Amino acid sequence: MTMRYQNKTVILADVVGVEDAEELLGMLQKYPTAKLDMEACTHVHTACLQVLMAVKPAVKKWPEVPVLAHWLRLALKQ
Amino acid sequence: MSVNSLLEQFITEGREFLQAISVSLMALEENPGDQELMTELFRHVHTLKGNSGLFDFPAMTRVLHAGEDLMDSVRHGRVQFNVSIADALLDAMDFVSHLLDEVDAAGSLDSSNDAQALALSHMLRALLPAATVAVVTSDALVAEPVPTQLSVRDRLCAIVPSVQAQLLKVSEDTRREMFLWAKKGQPLIWVHYQPEAECFFKGEDPFFLAMQTPGFSVAGIHNRTPWPALEQLDAYRCELQFGGISSASRAELEDYFRYVPEQVELIELPALLMVLPSGDENGGPVYEDFVVEALNLLERGDVAGLRRVTSSLLEFSSPALWLSSALRWLLVLLEEPPAELFVLRALIQSVQSLTPPDWLQFLQNHELSVGAVATEFGASAEETPPEDPILELAPARRKALQALLQAQGSILALPVDAGFEGRMRAATTTLLGCTKTVGLDSERDLLEQASSTAREQKNPAPMQAWVARFAHRCGIAMPATVVPNALQTLSPVAHPVTPVQAAAVVVPTEPVVVVVPTAAVPEPVPPPASTPVVPVVHEAAPPVALVAEVIAPSVVAPAPAESAALQDEHVAARRNSKPEDTHAQSAKTLRVDQVKIDRLMNLIGEMVVAKNALPYLANRAENQYGVRDLSREIKVQYSVINRIAEEMQDAIMQVRMMPVSFVFQRFPRLVRDLSNKLGKEVQLVLEGEETEADKNIVEALADPLIHIVRNSLDHGLELPEVRRANGKPEKGRLQISARQESDHVTIEITDDGRGIDATVIKRKAYQNGLISEERLEQISDQEAINLVFLPGFSTAETVTDLSGRGVGMDVVRNAIQKVGGTLQLNSVLGQGTRLRLSLPLSMAVTNVMIIESAQQIFGFPMDVVVETVRLPRQRIKYFKQHATTVLRDKVIPLFSLNTLLALDTPQVANDQNELALLVLRMGQEQVGLLVDAFRETTDIILKPLPGVLSGLHGYAGSALLGDGSVLMVLDHKELF
Repeated sequence: MTMRYQNKTVILADVVGVEDAEELLGMLQKYPTAKLDMEACTHVHTACLQVLMAVKPAVKKWPEVPVLAHWLRLALKQ
Repeated sequence: MSVNSLLEQFITEGREFLQAISVSLMALEENPGDQELMTELFRHVHTLKGNSGLFDFPAMTRVLHAGEDLMDSVRHGRVQFNVSIADALLDAMDFVSHLLDEVDAAGSLDSSNDAQALALSHMLRALLPAATVAVVTSDALVAEPVPTQLSVRDRLCAIVPSVQAQLLKVSEDTRREMFLWAKKGQPLIWVHYQPEAECFFKGEDPFFLAMQTPGFSVAGIHNRTPWPALEQLDAYRCELQFGGISSASRAELEDYFRYVPEQVELIELPALLMVLPSGDENGGPVYEDFVVEALNLLERGDVAGLRRVTSSLLEFSSPALWLSSALRWLLVLLEEPPAELFVLRALIQSVQSLTPPDWLQFLQNHELSVGAVATEFGASAEETPPEDPILELAPARRKALQALLQAQGSILALPVDAGFEGRMRAATTTLLGCTKTVGLDSERDLLEQASSTAREQKNPAPMQAWVARFAHRCGIAMPATVVPNALQTLSPVAHPVTPVQAAAVVVPTEPVVVVVPTAAVPEPVPPPASTPVVPVVHEAAPPVALVAEVIAPSVVAPAPAESAALQDEHVAARRNSKPEDTHAQSAKTLRVDQVKIDRLMNLIGEMVVAKNALPYLANRAENQYGVRDLSREIKVQYSVINRIAEEMQDAIMQVRMMPVSFVFQRFPRLVRDLSNKLGKEVQLVLEGEETEADKNIVEALADPLIHIVRNSLDHGLELPEVRRANGKPEKGRLQISARQESDHVTIEITDDGRGIDATVIKRKAYQNGLISEERLEQISDQEAINLVFLPGFSTAETVTDLSGRGVGMDVVRNAIQKVGGTLQLNSVLGQGTRLRLSLPLSMAVTNVMIIESAQQIFGFPMDVVVETVRLPRQRIKYFKQHATTVLRDKVIPLFSLNTLLALDTPQVANDQNELALLVLRMGQEQVGLLVDAFRETTDIILKPLPGVLSGLHGYAGSALLGDGSVLMVLDHKELF
């Protein structure tokens, strides 16, 4: 399960692929105050990345992969 | 379908497309206005490009893409079709064909082709009208256009502000590493990657691609346009762009981004741009003192002192401060070898103002100094002349000198008028004084040279250039306004340069920052980003649609009138096309490997042989077992099987048949190219292209025919002026026609050129020692003409690259004879030449006549048998020792087969003392062959003799007969 909503948090895990982009957008729209937990996430497809950039949810946990975390921080300006 | 078979199919189809493209191009040259042809041509290029996109051949796709864009412009009337476009496209298609060969041979493409691909695609794009750039493509299917008419330096200046802002996102440590890296002579390249909006549909993941960029430090991930309200956000339109700095080499980056070269901009950055202090700007009151002290130390050239002062201040400051950051940079700059004085000064002064030095301004004002900076920081260390050091001058002197130089600069910048000469002299004198003062005598000659050039040309530029150079050597910054032209004169890269040129630019003496544009910043060429919609649409189509097109290339055949509406339909069609849609369109033709057909061929051969055993069986049933009814039934069954087998054989032969157009289709191009090269005007007429023959025969025809056509063009047809003088139309006529005559295909190559001069041939043949003097006297003109088929014969006085090497017609004749064909040459001097090739329809099944001699059976191909005669012994006459007979008023030489085969038995006559005489055709003549008895004729599959036996003289091959025995088939040409 790459994406789920739990405890007011959108949790992303493993590789979030291009096909998940619309679902992610929908989820973030449905729960506008949700926080983002990307700890177990290993890669985010560009399409999902730009959804995150457009929505700018508050990030609770950054990915464990340092490079990905660095890039995401830069992209999400947090 | 496996990738491999897909690739094979692509190669086969690719060749067909290339052929079709070149045919259409040639037709278009005749009829430039033909919309239908134009559309067809576009579609071919378009499809081929799309197909190539399925594989890992970026070089091929790029060239085809450029070709497609060009064709699209032509199709929409933005460019007039002309010969240069045709030439360019033909060249490009040759290149693609070469790539296909390489793929076929190696299975992949070497990256060595990339450069040529780029050059070709630029060449094609150069033919696009400038207006195309302005053609706004529909919404944002394509990436936003990159500014086009900017010089490299302008481009650098244009991006630097945003780059600088983004660079702050890169950590100071990383930037320091980059800076030190650059100092070692490595380039720093700014990578701006802007994926196209539709890239997700092509399966791309730009984020991933950007992350994996070699040596990359990301600086910015941005959206191109502000994000819309979430409800309107289209997650599948890529809006992002990536920026960052890479320490990898340009070649490495170009290779890495080879699939998206038009979306990536690579700009070499001056290392100085890395020097950006950042941090907390508040705190520490002691800056003023430090700045004063540091500047003093700097003026005195006390690098060690400066380093010490900087270090100690750094120790007292919090590392997070902006000041500390600046100090750390200062230390980096002071590392051996220390940076330029003014660079250090600028950085120290920035500590005072707490704003980072405006390196951009700095770069612009110190156009020449930039070179020095680049040198100092390693970008082009080897290129700096060692005798050009920056002078260390006392501040007061420097100031005075600066004032003088600036004054001279203003004088030089005045418009050219009557007083120009005098001003130049005055300025020269002043400047000569300056050189003397600072002790730069080496500059005097250069100055005088510049001065005289300036006066001659009435152009102050050389002088301005000198002033700029001199100022640089004295470490003086000149305002850009004073030396405007000088900048242009001095820095070759400041001129608009085409990307291709720029890629090769090695700035020889000027240590100017060399900023080489990438493919994404073409100058006179429109940027790929703003090319018309269709190609992009195509790329956006999902792979499935491409496969559909592979299978049915003619699915989208737009009528000319529809072409405008085509684009939208295209998109819709592609989007909607699902795999199941393609089934209905796919199964009309079948591509089968030739090996499979050959196997069928062999099997039917065995079937024929097996079937032929039935009559033997019937005979045995009747004679040996006396069951007559069974014998009859077997015969009835045999006739049924025989009919089916024959039909089957015929059907399989049909499969192997292919039209001679396979060979003919290459002639229009060949004739076009050759006639252009030779300066001749030729009208090529092709007839009967649909005539079919066995694949092997048609393929065997290719080389001989090309040779013949070349000969006709080179030797046969005359130059237009000669033709006019001889009362012929200027345009020569070369006709190649094919037709089927019973079981033969006849091909005639006719030209209306100068014909073959029999006397010249005779003389040449005699001179080359090909015929004896005696024969020279006797030989008829027709025989003389046939001498051209002798090995080593050449009439040409000089060897050209087209023909004249004496390996020609004999090779042609051998090739034709090898497939069982004959050829006949006729020529009338001054009127033309006709060469007639006669080829069997198929080589697979041979009809042979079986004869008996010395109690063995032998076969003779039926096509050489003229007749069979029972010859009474008394009609054999002897001329000297040689037996002859007169048959239908013709003298026919007689040979005994037993003698020819060295069998030690005389030929056997029948009861009436008649011998069996087989009359054979030998070229133009007839020969009689005495044998013992005639048997039936039969169809056999002739197999060449295998292994050791293949060296056996006199045999064409062997075949299996119905009763299982082996028939040796004789080769009459080798027998006598």
